[in-house]
Amino acid sequence: MDTTIALKGTAINKFFYQPEPFQVLKDISFSVNKGEFLTLVGKSGSGKSTLLYVLSTMDTDYKGSLEINGAVLTGKSQNQLAAFRNEHIGFVFQFHYLLVEFTALENVMLPALKLGKKSREEIEANAYESLKMLDLREQALKPANMLSGGQQQRVAIARALINNPSIIMGDEPTGNLDSKNTKVVFDIFKQLTRERGQTIIAVTHDDDFARNSDRIIELSDGNLLKTNTIGE
Amino acid sequence: MFSSVNNKISGVHLTSNTKQSIVAVLSVTFGISMYVFMNSFMSGVNDTQTNLAFTAMAHVRVYNDGPVDNTNLLKKVLPANTVVNLRSAKVIQYTEGIKNSRQIVSLLQHQPETTGVTTQVNINVSYHNGAVRINGLLSGVDVENEERLFGIGRYMLQGEWAQLKNRSDGVIVGSGLAKNMSLNINDNLNLVTDGGIVKNYKVIGIFETTIANTDKSKAYINIGAARQLLSKNADYVTDIQVNVKDYSKARQTAGAVAPAIPYKVEAWQMANGQLEAGSNLRDIIAKAVSLTILLVAGFGIYNIMNMTVSQKIREIAILKAMGFSGGDITQIFLTEALVIGVVGGIVGMVFGFFVALAVNNVPFKIGGLQTLPMTYKAHDYILAFIFGLLTTFVAGYLPARKASKIDPVTIIRG
Repeated sequence: MDTTIALKGTAINKFFYQPEPFQVLKDISFSVNKGEFLTLVGKSGSGKSTLLYVLSTMDTDYKGSLEINGAVLTGKSQNQLAAFRNEHIGFVFQFHYLLVEFTALENVMLPALKLGKKSREEIEANAYESLKMLDLREQALKPANMLSGGQQQRVAIARALINNPSIIMGDEPTGNLDSKNTKVVFDIFKQLTRERGQTIIAVTHDDDFARNSDRIIELSDGNLLKTNTIGE
Repeated sequence: MFSSVNNKISGVHLTSNTKQSIVAVLSVTFGISMYVFMNSFMSGVNDTQTNLAFTAMAHVRVYNDGPVDNTNLLKKVLPANTVVNLRSAKVIQYTEGIKNSRQIVSLLQHQPETTGVTTQVNINVSYHNGAVRINGLLSGVDVENEERLFGIGRYMLQGEWAQLKNRSDGVIVGSGLAKNMSLNINDNLNLVTDGGIVKNYKVIGIFETTIANTDKSKAYINIGAARQLLSKNADYVTDIQVNVKDYSKARQTAGAVAPAIPYKVEAWQMANGQLEAGSNLRDIIAKAVSLTILLVAGFGIYNIMNMTVSQKIREIAILKAMGFSGGDITQIFLTEALVIGVVGGIVGMVFGFFVALAVNNVPFKIGGLQTLPMTYKAHDYILAFIFGLLTTFVAGYLPARKASKIDPVTIIRG
């Protein structure tokens, strides 16, 4: 088992049947190394988001196989996958998707409380630390819906990080942010790959964001067009 | 199994939209309090009805059921398909009443369920006062035991029940009979038995049970005087009346002693099917109405829970993305429904008690009642709570299951 490979997709095919049969992903195979900052780009409808949701384990309706950290995830039950996501994958979406009835701190703590591997006190301390790193220490006890858009997105990142996942996936994580906040999020991602060795896979429309990542995978009409390793 | 994170999420859902939670709790409260009230009221009505009926009737009655069927004496000796023409058959020897009453009374008194036994000599008579003639029943009674079983003393309008014991010439008459015969205390009552014996008694009391038939036709005398009237010995009775601890179990007691007694042993249900039917029908109505109310309350909860799930559909998707399983989601929403059910149930039991108490104080002065009848039975409250919880469980489970099946990809991608 190659320990440097974080994620490996082999011959992934996916069809949409509504409104008419349509192959959205065509025989896609690639792998992502540990600590790599990967961006998925392509035009609307190219299948990049669809691919991300297949990689995320949430979408199980595909052909081919998916391995994360050496574990084959294709064919596992929804509940097994949910437990796997909880421990190994963090998500950041275009919209923050925080639970608005909870405080920022509680939102960050939820995945860890679900995992249940640490005591509540430890989790709280870790959550405070994450929030501090993202410059949100002062906002910790505010309800999530009282924060600004940039703050909410950073809380969502803190939430994605709480279980120290090996892979963080982003679906246009900066799509709703201004350039200043985009820069902040990008720097955080970069820092995570460099300092903690976490792998990032992000779908983006933002060319600058993609250009500054380690590697770009471009999709067009469901085909893997090319993979550019930056700096080569 | 019960994760504290899930409970915390349920708790936040319940407390963040207080108004909605209160409406849901109130619908359960309403259902359960109505269940409690309806059933308490119905069993109150049934108890009143039964108590009224038992003023004139014991739980078990032992009597001589008359001669056997002699319409075709020859069938015992001839083959079944023989054509027989037998006309005007007559019974020439027939034992009336119960002869060895002491032995039977002693047997009945030793039954563990028995609470009281009294003997009676009942005689069909015709009351005469001048030109007025009324057919009725003259009941010779064991004064003390009669009081213990039927509590006639409560119904005395004039005179005292206990006096009957020492007055072999005294009679206590029903209020309707007294009115029709123009009788007052100390007047004379002339009567003729069906055997043709004429006798005069002095009215020493007037009773009113509110059962018109009884009040219009019944009169009591001392059992000794009744035996004297019929020229029978001191062991002679026509009826032995027995009360048991639980009147609904009278059949069992009757069944237990019947083989040892050579007379008819009859539980009240056998002789009064309509009473039992009435009481059972009222129970069914009460159950049907209250279960319908609970069902409506259940739909209320179902509706609210469904709305909550729809409102929180994105939140559910995100929880699933973060690693909450379908079971966790079911648990979150089912917990909410059950909290609503338990809180609504407890408040409903308390509220139902107070509704029952209030209705119990509504004046209702008919048939010996002062206020509307009501019972307070723990078992009604417990059943209401259990049914309420079951309803909320079902009403909460369906939306919870729907929530657990939400596909996060469809919701998050829009």
